[in-house]
Amino acid sequence: MGEAIVVTSGKGGVGKTTTTANLGTALALQGKKVCLIDTDIGLRNLDVVLGLENRIIYDLVDVVEGRCRVNQALVKDKRFEDRLFLLPAAQTADKLAVSPEQMRELVTELKREYDYILIDCPAGIEQGYQNAVAGADRAIVVTTPEISAVRDADRIIGLLEQEEGIEPPKLIINRIKRHLMESGEALDVNEITTHLSIDLLGIVMDDENVISSSNKGEPVVLNPANRAATGYRNIARRILGESVPLMSMDEPKKGFLGKLKSIFTK
Amino acid sequence: MTQVTRKQLVMIKGTKSGLVLRLDDQCAYSELVSELEQKVREEALEGTTEIQLHLGNRYCTDEQVKELINCVQESPHLRVSKVQSDVIRVEECNRLIKESQSETFVGIVRSGQVVQAEGDLVIIGDVNPNGKAIANGNIFVLGRLKGIAHAGAGGNRDAVIAASWLEATHLMIADKVETMTDELTVLSERPEMECAYIHRSGFIAIDRLQELRILRPYLSTFKGGS
Repeated sequence: MGEAIVVTSGKGGVGKTTTTANLGTALALQGKKVCLIDTDIGLRNLDVVLGLENRIIYDLVDVVEGRCRVNQALVKDKRFEDRLFLLPAAQTADKLAVSPEQMRELVTELKREYDYILIDCPAGIEQGYQNAVAGADRAIVVTTPEISAVRDADRIIGLLEQEEGIEPPKLIINRIKRHLMESGEALDVNEITTHLSIDLLGIVMDDENVISSSNKGEPVVLNPANRAATGYRNIARRILGESVPLMSMDEPKKGFLGKLKSIFTK
Repeated sequence: MTQVTRKQLVMIKGTKSGLVLRLDDQCAYSELVSELEQKVREEALEGTTEIQLHLGNRYCTDEQVKELINCVQESPHLRVSKVQSDVIRVEECNRLIKESQSETFVGIVRSGQVVQAEGDLVIIGDVNPNGKAIANGNIFVLGRLKGIAHAGAGGNRDAVIAASWLEATHLMIADKVETMTDELTVLSERPEMECAYIHRSGFIAIDRLQELRILRPYLSTFKGGS
């Protein structure tokens, strides 16, 4: 029996979809069988980030309305043999096309076959959120070091705490810009975790490659040298139950000459 | 014959603060009203006299109380200052009990959440921005108050708000609202252990928690000790 994890944030644009794609990929890299569900009906883009857009035949609404079987709608990511699948959202319907009960049923069915089901939640706290949360066992709240994102995260944590059958949510702080945090212009990690008072699952540094790789349809986590990728890989390992120390926010290591130089400039 | 021995239904007693009309609590209400009307007409007074109505063990509805007051005030010289009864309804009694009790909330009041209490409210945890704590009595936060607090929501202007860390966006006591903007000079750098109350000037003031002992001495219900 697998586990269903919903990735949510309240606010839009903080990186829910990117996080879902990268965590799913990282879990598949660890040898787990993963199914991603995009619940952002009408504004889907998890398929684009994964580079699976042109392979969609059926979608979530088709499955729920019985036009196809679940297995027909699942899109396989060929990079991972039989370990990463996507259930895309419909683009032509709206959030009301699916009910929380239908989602719960669907997720329970998928849990029999997959180790992890990652549910990408739409922004907002309306029907789309209700649908995404319905079948989940665990919840991940994504926020950025901005006050508006933290406020919305607080609201969503409050809602998640009232939801029955979900473990206390865990936090990911995304898009950390080291220089802004150090100068005090952005909220720092400690401030955010004390304010929200939930467990921190991990931090992800801001990196330009996240955007370019998303545009190419290759999740950044596939590039192990990238520092955002390290963040995602660490989080995936924590989801699997390993204890991994929080990554340092320091800049990537300099080469030999760079190190030599910094010794002399000290 | 019977007329002579009949018990008086309205007893008049003079006190320092005016006249007390003690109304019989055994007779029928209609008898009482007619006798009261009669008594009021008999009284030959000058100027205005303050009247207190004591109902004894009789329960009167709001309409009946109003009728009795009107009855007395038909005389231009009389003014009812107080109506007092030894009995109250069970509902009112329960409400009073609830208002005197304190309720405890353990956890964080997050954005969009509202915690409400009939009496005092004790929150063990933070109140985050856009979270709201409402109480008819006082509000005590054992944590950081960073959201909205409304004490004395039922109109009690003596209610106070106290917090380990008072950094609220809005403070409300009874009908007073204070937005905690930068212009507010009373704000401290480290708002640790502070309380808010309605000052004699009519505005919400913020002070050190230690001052509460002097500002609202009756908050302490602790008896004895050394």
